[in-house]
Amino acid sequence: MAFALEFFLRRISQGVLIVLAVAFVIFALLRIAPGDPIRIILGPMATPSAMEETAERFGLRDPIPVQFLRYLGDIAKGDFGNSFIRGKQGGTTGGSQDAAGSPPVERAAVIELIAKALPYTLLLAACGFLLACLVSIPLGIMAGVRNNGWPQKVALYLSSLLVSLPNVWVGIVLIYLLSARTGWLPAIGYRHIGYVIIPAIVVAIELAPVMIRSISVAVATNVQDPFYEIGQVRGLSARAMLFRHVLRNAAVPLLNSFGAQMIGMLLGGLFVVEYIFSFPGIGLLTINAVFQRDFPVIQTVAIFASTVLVFINIAVDFASTTIDRRLKF
Amino acid sequence: MGTEPLLTVENLSICLGTGDGARALLSNITFAVKPKSVLGIIGESGSGKTLLSRALVNWVRAPLQVTAGKVIYQGLDLLALPETQMARLRGREIAYIGANPTTALDPTVPVGHQIEEKLRTIEPGLSGQEARKRVIAMLDAVRIPSARSRFDEYPFQFSGGMMQRAMIVDALISNPKLLVADNITQPLDVTVAAQILRLLRDLQRDFGTSIVFVSSSFGTIVDIADEVVVLDKGKIVEAQDTGRIQKSPDHPYTRELLAKVPRLWHGVSGVPQVHVEPVVLSVRDVAKTYEVKDRASLFKKNRVQAVRGVSFEVRRGESLGLIGESGCGKSTLSRLLSSLEPPDRGAIEVNGVDVATLHGDALLSMRRRFQLLLQDPYNSIPSHVSIGTTIAEPLRIHRLASGNGLRERVCAVMQEVGLSPDLYDALPVGLSAGQRQRVNIARAMVLEPSVLILDETLSALDQVEQAKLLDLFDNLQRKHGITYLYISHDLAMVRRACARIAVMYLGKIVEIGDNETIFDEPAHPYTRTLLSSVSTVEAKPFLPKDYLLEGEPPDPIHIPEGCSFRSRCPFVIETCRSVEPPLSTRAGTSAAACHLGLERLPMPSVMTPGRPGSDLKQMDSL
Repeated sequence: MAFALEFFLRRISQGVLIVLAVAFVIFALLRIAPGDPIRIILGPMATPSAMEETAERFGLRDPIPVQFLRYLGDIAKGDFGNSFIRGKQGGTTGGSQDAAGSPPVERAAVIELIAKALPYTLLLAACGFLLACLVSIPLGIMAGVRNNGWPQKVALYLSSLLVSLPNVWVGIVLIYLLSARTGWLPAIGYRHIGYVIIPAIVVAIELAPVMIRSISVAVATNVQDPFYEIGQVRGLSARAMLFRHVLRNAAVPLLNSFGAQMIGMLLGGLFVVEYIFSFPGIGLLTINAVFQRDFPVIQTVAIFASTVLVFINIAVDFASTTIDRRLKF
Repeated sequence: MGTEPLLTVENLSICLGTGDGARALLSNITFAVKPKSVLGIIGESGSGKTLLSRALVNWVRAPLQVTAGKVIYQGLDLLALPETQMARLRGREIAYIGANPTTALDPTVPVGHQIEEKLRTIEPGLSGQEARKRVIAMLDAVRIPSARSRFDEYPFQFSGGMMQRAMIVDALISNPKLLVADNITQPLDVTVAAQILRLLRDLQRDFGTSIVFVSSSFGTIVDIADEVVVLDKGKIVEAQDTGRIQKSPDHPYTRELLAKVPRLWHGVSGVPQVHVEPVVLSVRDVAKTYEVKDRASLFKKNRVQAVRGVSFEVRRGESLGLIGESGCGKSTLSRLLSSLEPPDRGAIEVNGVDVATLHGDALLSMRRRFQLLLQDPYNSIPSHVSIGTTIAEPLRIHRLASGNGLRERVCAVMQEVGLSPDLYDALPVGLSAGQRQRVNIARAMVLEPSVLILDETLSALDQVEQAKLLDLFDNLQRKHGITYLYISHDLAMVRRACARIAVMYLGKIVEIGDNETIFDEPAHPYTRTLLSSVSTVEAKPFLPKDYLLEGEPPDPIHIPEGCSFRSRCPFVIETCRSVEPPLSTRAGTSAAACHLGLERLPMPSVMTPGRPGSDLKQMDSL
């Protein structure tokens, strides 16, 4: 117990620092990079004086550290700001308003935008991840246990094939084959659960090769450990050794590659896939926000994503040390 | 014992590979194991004894092939048995314990739980609670201290000896009729190995299990076995009663094996003498403590006192032996001496210069004079670099030679350590352990060091190779006046090689003295315990029944107050509980840290004729 308490205290405090650092870097880069959000808000016809006035009102002319501290202060009060662009009703309202006309309070709160998009993203991520697991876990285990033979070859060829397919291309081909050509499945946007199938396949195709490979390597390493064979000589069945001991040991490297690599891949993959399929999740929201220089949305998504990553890694490390007590984090 | 044998092996042959390229590893092995008896199988490394012991439990995997023969257990040929039937015997009636207990269990599951898992697989009707009770009772029976809490501890929290006890529990929990023990005492400290042997004998008597005990040590075999089978290059050359084989071995190979068993007291001549040359290495009150996290409490750290104030001096051209059980701080001391880590306090002086004061080039040139040789000959040499380049690397680092001069010096040193200069451009692949160790020696010697620290350098080698390298070390010492520091748990080697010996226990030197004093009239009970635990074929002056206590050293986090050895000392008196005995000088350069005088310890049971100067001929030399 003491160990767990100290672990979480230490890791969460480190995590907060990491999230703060990420937030500051994103915050500063957005403001340094070219592209003025005011131009997009007010449209190409706005006068320089109107633009300057709006910028002042949004606080964009203050030094970056001052802006950042003010931003943190707002977050502490639970206010993640409002979108520069999106209106309360959901439509994009850039480029058609005069400076004095619509005050920013009418714009949608970032937190609400995210709350609306998040369930879609979670659904897509869960479906894609489950689909990938369905294929990779059995195949990876079989390939790992028998280091020669057909499962190993299938695993190798399948993961080589999948890893070389770019997800943009796979997405378009699947839309063409399963939706446009045959009409079996809906593809663009979201109206019901059927809309998630094709995008989930694309996400799974991206994750599967990495998972097959890491599962088969982790299982193979542990099958070669003396305890696997000795266990059978001790009188336990090969099955019992595999399911009670080998998989337990293999879980540690798998959790690590999950926390370090796959979550990152999943997030990146989701952005692209949501954009291709106009899937109304966080990814689409963020990509549009980037095109529109919608600073508050980008910042909040970045903070949100880094928090998720940090916490998943804390959870992964805690799970690893619970499984294998030799590990110290 | 005229009963039917429990297990018979008939004409067993095993090959590596198939077809024309097949190499016979075992040929025509035939022997029988009687019920309730111990059969010893002895052979050197490479004789096929591990393979044989695995064949007894039908654990022969490709590319190994059984080409002929039977292993008959109670009328069933195990090698021809279908896997389902074999599975009904394995771990139930026939148990197997291997040489390396630390890798035998899943590292992520508590030891007791894994034994319980096995028990419940064998007896599916057993409730969890009942199985647990039986495992704990059995752990108690093999004298694992506080078995109840140990039940929930993980393999990495067990020492090698404790782990081997746990594996014995695991093997015996199913009341097997036959136990195959493959070299089970080999990786253990002498004191622990002696305890395990004693334990196995008791259990064998109580449970009536037949044991096939495989070992490479003659001393161990004669200690435990009723009958002995001698294995040489995959063939049985002799099979006899234990008593007879010691007195009248028939086969020349058996005689050779017996002769190779190192003698510690009888027929020892010409042990190295103490030197009067100037002091090269002086260690004064060196200590090192490591901090490790305590998992059970918040922010608390445990202090592991690895080395607790060690002082000694080594003279030019002398060899000092540092002996003690694992965990006594030997290896930490070697790290401090080779300045891989600084000590917390105390000073290490080389030729009168404190090493801690050196930096940069001065430190580099000191390091040149000071070389460390480690135990593992495989991981200490890069496998993708040619042998010559490996040996030349120190010369490059110290910028001592280049071009042709470099190659010449490397070839010269290769010749000196017994490596052919033809190997200069070869990769180390295919070198034997002994040759690899020679590469290590050459790499150290090329710098012309004045001190060599040999941290278990010879432990991984067999006795023949060990003897050759000891001769090499002798020659190098005579030629270059090198000082050696042997860090070892091998008493026979230290007896042969070292003029002075220091005995370490829990991070302190408890006794230091010249070779004869330490082996013939040691004053510390711990030294005597170590000597009593050696397995030899000769009569020992110190007997395990007088000195050997159960248990292992306390962990270096909780060191007992007073004398640190008091928890295992059979002669403990009231003073020992409160007062820590200082290392006090006895005669000459010898000193011991014990409150008791020699007169309070038992007399040696045999007088040893092996004193230097005595005319006794060494009967069988190595």
